[in-house]
Amino acid sequence: MFLGPSNIAGKIETSFLIIVASCVILLALVTITMLVFLYRYNRKRTPVATEIRENLPLEVAWTVLPTVLVIAMFYFGWVDFDYIRNPPPNAMPIHVTARQWSWGFSYENGKQSDDLRVPVGTPVKLIMTSEDVLHCLFIPAYRVKEDCVPGMETHLWFTATETGTYEIFCTEYCGLEHSHMRSQLIAMRESDFNSWYAAKEKAVATPESRGKELLQSKGCLGCHTTDGTKKVGPTFKGLYGRKVTVMTNGKERTVTADDEYIEHSIEDPKADIVKGFPPIMPAIPATDEEMKDIIAYLKTLK
Amino acid sequence: MEDNASREPYYVNRGKYRGILSWLMSTDHKRIGIQYLIALLTFFWIGVLLGLLIRLSLIMPGKILSQGTYNQVFSVHGIIMIFLFIIPGIPVAFGNFFLPIMIGARDVAFPRLNRFAWWLYLTGAALVALSLFVSGGAPDTGWTFYAPYSIRTQANITMAVSGVFVLGFSSILTGLNFVTTIHRLRAPGMTWFRLPMFVWTVYATGWVQMLATPVLAITLVFIILGRVFGVGFFDPSKGGDPILYEHLFWTYSHPAVYIMVLPAMGVISEVIPVFARKTIFGYKAVAFSAVGIASVGYFVWGHHMFTSGMSDTARIIFSFITFLVAVPSGIKIFNWVATLYKGSIVLDSPLIFALSFIFLFSIGGLTGLIIGALAPNLHLHGTYFIVGHFHYVMFGGAGFAILAALHYWFPKMTGKMYNERPAKIGWLILFVGFNLLYFSMFVLGYEGMPRRYFDYPPEYYTGHLISTIGSWILATGLIIIFTNLIRSAFKGQEAPMNPWGGRGLEWTIPSPPPEENFEEIPVIDKAPYRMDG
Amino acid sequence: MGDSEIHKDRMAAKYGIWFFLFTEILFFGGMFLLYSIFRYRNAGAFHIAAAQEDLLLGSINTAVLLTSSFFIASAISAVKRGNNRLAILLQGLTVLLGAVFLVIKYFEWMEKIVRGIYPNSPVLLKLSSGEVLFFGLYYVMTGIHGLHVFIGITVISFMIYFTATGNITRKDYAKLENTGLYWHFVDIVWIYLFPLFYLIT
Ligand code: HEA
Ligand code: HEA
Ligand code: HEC
Ligand code: CUA
Ligand SMILES: [Cu+2]
Repeated sequence: MFLGPSNIAGKIETSFLIIVASCVILLALVTITMLVFLYRYNRKRTPVATEIRENLPLEVAWTVLPTVLVIAMFYFGWVDFDYIRNPPPNAMPIHVTARQWSWGFSYENGKQSDDLRVPVGTPVKLIMTSEDVLHCLFIPAYRVKEDCVPGMETHLWFTATETGTYEIFCTEYCGLEHSHMRSQLIAMRESDFNSWYAAKEKAVATPESRGKELLQSKGCLGCHTTDGTKKVGPTFKGLYGRKVTVMTNGKERTVTADDEYIEHSIEDPKADIVKGFPPIMPAIPATDEEMKDIIAYLKTLK
Repeated sequence: MEDNASREPYYVNRGKYRGILSWLMSTDHKRIGIQYLIALLTFFWIGVLLGLLIRLSLIMPGKILSQGTYNQVFSVHGIIMIFLFIIPGIPVAFGNFFLPIMIGARDVAFPRLNRFAWWLYLTGAALVALSLFVSGGAPDTGWTFYAPYSIRTQANITMAVSGVFVLGFSSILTGLNFVTTIHRLRAPGMTWFRLPMFVWTVYATGWVQMLATPVLAITLVFIILGRVFGVGFFDPSKGGDPILYEHLFWTYSHPAVYIMVLPAMGVISEVIPVFARKTIFGYKAVAFSAVGIASVGYFVWGHHMFTSGMSDTARIIFSFITFLVAVPSGIKIFNWVATLYKGSIVLDSPLIFALSFIFLFSIGGLTGLIIGALAPNLHLHGTYFIVGHFHYVMFGGAGFAILAALHYWFPKMTGKMYNERPAKIGWLILFVGFNLLYFSMFVLGYEGMPRRYFDYPPEYYTGHLISTIGSWILATGLIIIFTNLIRSAFKGQEAPMNPWGGRGLEWTIPSPPPEENFEEIPVIDKAPYRMDG
Repeated sequence: MGDSEIHKDRMAAKYGIWFFLFTEILFFGGMFLLYSIFRYRNAGAFHIAAAQEDLLLGSINTAVLLTSSFFIASAISAVKRGNNRLAILLQGLTVLLGAVFLVIKYFEWMEKIVRGIYPNSPVLLKLSSGEVLFFGLYYVMTGIHGLHVFIGITVISFMIYFTATGNITRKDYAKLENTGLYWHFVDIVWIYLFPLFYLIT
């Protein structure tokens, strides 16, 4: 009946509207009857009440009819549920990793991204998990949502029917930056998608550019900025070579942010806590190569 | 009871303690009820102020609250409103005061246990309050304490959760006490089907309290053990399972919503017949539907977890049962409306609040059905639609019932009459503000605005603005209502024994009731609510 | 209102204690539920882990608690016959056995803790997650049960005092009877815990 930008949206919209309509009718019935009685049987009009204690047929009627009605409502919520929950076998798998407070999407061919790009017309299956606490992937325009649970895989599927850019929200409370854990869904024409998908990582990637991408794909930018503003963690701008006051085992000391300090901060963040920040940074695994790239990039942020 | 001196109002002090102690140490159910009421309303106002702060912050994110503070504010708002205000709510305040009177008893079955439960309530509340100030900071998990976040966060969850545990224990003892009281202390002739409706609902609530609260208690113990000793039942890295936490939590917390609303329905069933001058329509249907809600309500908790990763079959079953709970609620609504039929209605403020309950609770309940349906829930879960739903049922439902009860029983509890006009004006403003405030949330939610968001994309601004303006209007109404009540408690006219022409036992004794309530235990020979004599 | 005016209703007291025990069952029920789910998922690991429990100490403790249950039951019938002196003795024995139970439990726990097996310990975290769960459950469930034993001992001690001061008499012994019920409950919980942790190998 309704279409919307994904195959799922219309189905959900239809059942939503049917149920809402029945609810509105019920509410109107109850309210209008109540108001009519209030008017008709006001003390001024009806000084003496008439005792009516009960009426069995009526009781039966308003037990049975609503039962039928609610079962019908349940049915409309349920008819398309199998379809909504079960992806077709040929759906394109995309792995989703949620973490405090960013999204990571990785594709079959190893391509990684922090926004979700999908081709119009192809069914897509999201296979989701979380690295830390509960999160929930929500694409309002598509009417789909499912939690990302640590230690377990959940899934969603949809087919984009129009090109466009839509919001992705995290709708399971996950801590401080929950409300900024957002991303985008970009539905692209199939040809556009294919060229994006096939594009190799920039052929002559420099360590700096690789480092920049690593910060994005590993979710560092969920907590750190590169422009000098303070987020959950200290900014990366001008970090390299800066004198930092840290708390080590409850004692304050000043260190210079050099290679070793940065590596240490990433591998074992709980050891030195930058003064004035909460000790919430997770330890993030990185290979030596990746470490070098990250540091190379951080050096460029003057 | 022979000498008349002993028939003074319950608040005249004759015990061995003086001052505040004469209240704290009292085992008189009426004194305990009044103390609860005062504590509850205090917490209500704190919660309400936090609610106002949430709204204010939402129209200018970052200007008055930082993100972290916002998270703490909505968590504390939820914790206070749920665990300190609305769950204990009607049973501890009005149940304590009126339950023994309504069944013709002198006190509850275990008066000292009752006092103990009240102390536990204070202790629990103090722990929750303290958790806001000690190291780590106020809880920032939301009122649901979802693991594993609640196990990892730096905030001071352990103390808050212990507080909630103690409150739960208090709630169990109250439920146990009331159920025993109703079984054992009914006056001669007070058969089950002559019990006032309020007593039926408190009875059903008592059972839910006993059945559900222990599950919450053990779940909270697991959270505490997880934080203090690193026991990892909900931590996947230790083999645990976060979804189990959700199951355990909602096994309590869904029945808990009926702990909130059942006694509220009892209040409505008391008020409507009195002001329509008619017997309640379908007494048995209304009574059994209370028991029906209480029992079916135990099996629907999964509807909070439709997107949690639970199996699809479980989702379908839970959704189906969820729809079934609507039927007994519907029966109640229909019977109340039918009670008005051929009545002789006086629109005094208790009735106005009761009828607003019917309207607002219907909206809340029907939106509950919308989110109880599988497909719409996928879109609406975790959005402001949910926030709208539960404020309609909790504030519009249970909250308005408390306002109805406050006005209805005010003369009995204080011995004074309140002013009718300010009560009605306050109601009107409250009602308008309420709908502005919360109805816009349905729209916001439908458009996709997630809940527990401190900051949001600009397209949601208008909705939030309307909602916030509504909160100011609502505030004005509340202030008028409470100012009126507080003024009247001190300066109001003396109330007669039976200002509304009610037929319950509470209206056969002086206002305010004396200690021990009855000179002689009454003998009951007719059904309740017989307005004809 | 003076406490003396609180009337006594033995039937109500019975209702009260049964309702209370009922909520206790649900409280432990939450733990048993968790146990069954985790065991279902990690059957193998649970068997391996349970082999480390000391069956002998566990069996002794079962016997100790059963006997104590018998003593408290006898104490009640002694009071009914008006023999308060015997009742005090029997209650004393109950308390003593309760204490023995806790002491044995202490040694069992210590033995494991010394080996480095306690929640979140480095040794434990190296084991499979099923074993981590098993020992987590072991500590939590026997710990909370132990707490109940401790509460029971405290309450019975008060009852001894009441029996001695004549507060509990042949006509009015509801307190003692209810305490007995509570103690039986604590005993029965152990009867369920014992096979779950010691006998499943
Ligand atoms: C007082 C508290 C209260 C009450 C009474 C209810 C009552 C109901 N609730 Fe609500 N609910 C909450 C408090 C309450 N709820 C809270 C606090 C949350 C959020 C928790 C959180 O996540 O923080 C929540 C969340 C919640 C969800 C989860 C949403 C989500 O997170 O995805 C669902 C889903 O099914 C739901 C459904 C229902 C239903 C079907 C009822 C039914 O009982 C309603 C029955 C009533 C009616 C149907 C209306 C009256 C009847 C008629 C007018 C007659 C005609 C109608 C028919 C017969 C069809 N509720
Ligand atoms: C009984 C329960 C109850 C009640 C009555 C309320 C009342 C209110 N709540 Fe409530 N709310 C909850 C229970 C309740 N809430 C729960 C359980 C949650 C979920 C928390 C979570 O997610 O974990 C929630 C969440 C919640 C949110 C969502 C937060 C988010 O997801 O980000 C919002 C947002 O607007 C909100 C707003 C309000 C407002 C504006 C009121 C208004 O009613 C308040 C109206 C009052 C005023 C506007 C103040 C007026 C007073 C004055 C001006 C001062 C005068 C003072 C004196 C005279 C002493 N609440
Ligand atoms: C969950 C939020 C979060 C994430 C994700 C995160 N960090 Fe951090 N980070 C912090 C916080 C908070 C601090 C300050 C406290 C501390 O030192 O632990 C910090 C500190 C640091 C520091 C020391 C900064 C200084 O000013 O001394 C470095 C370097 C760092 N992080 C790098 C990274 C890198 C690289 C990543 C991604 C691979 C990352 N962080 C991901 C929160 C985070
Ligand atoms: Cu991630 Cu909320
Ligand atoms: Cu629910």
